[in-house]
Amino acid sequence: MAKAPPITNRIRELRESQGGMSQAALAEAIGVTRQTVIAIELGKYSPSLESAFRISRVFNLGIEDVFGWEPPHQN
Amino acid sequence: MYEIFNIAGLMMSFLASFQNISFREKTAWAMAIILAAAGFFYFDKVVRISNALGQTAPPLIGLVIGYVILIVIASVIVMSVLAVSAAREADAPADEREKIIADKAGNWSSYVLAVPALGALWHYSVQMDGNMLFHLIFLSLMLSQISEYVFQIFLYRRGA
Repeated sequence: MAKAPPITNRIRELRESQGGMSQAALAEAIGVTRQTVIAIELGKYSPSLESAFRISRVFNLGIEDVFGWEPPHQN
Repeated sequence: MYEIFNIAGLMMSFLASFQNISFREKTAWAMAIILAAAGFFYFDKVVRISNALGQTAPPLIGLVIGYVILIVIASVIVMSVLAVSAAREADAPADEREKIIADKAGNWSSYVLAVPALGALWHYSVQMDGNMLFHLIFLSLMLSQISEYVFQIFLYRRGA
């Protein structure tokens, strides 16, 4: 199983809070496929900085309101 | 009887999930299957001819041409069907994740080309069998192409 990237996001929660926006609608708004939105939501793929900004703009929020970063634990 | 229902259920769930995947993943599945089937067709013939001759068959240029024509025709048919069923996705350029997946898969598959090709050269240096060298290099090319699509599927499933 792939190691999850340390980037977290609230995309699913924000979609649902904003009238149940579909993954396909978000994908269309930011110019990626629905499967890429699914991969981002599941934490399987960390979007580019540009896509992260685009997603934030869709929700009228700042990038840090949508995405977070959890540094890997140091041993 | 129970097994038949099980298999049918598995096939139905596979088809249902197939409708949910992206156009580019579908094309990767299609190309991997076409290339594997064509490769099997080609090497089945080579092995049969080699067995009949009692030695490694010489390069079969007619068969290579047939292999290429078979792949081109099958790819055009399957790609056309997939493109018609998802015209918008087929027209759209690859997105950032799809580009990363294509790059990674291409990179990994280059090793699948290099390792058997080096093995083929080593085999030639020991056995001096030029016919076998031809077939092994051709096999390396086939495996490399098939593995590129298999790696793409793996990355689409696992996440890139």
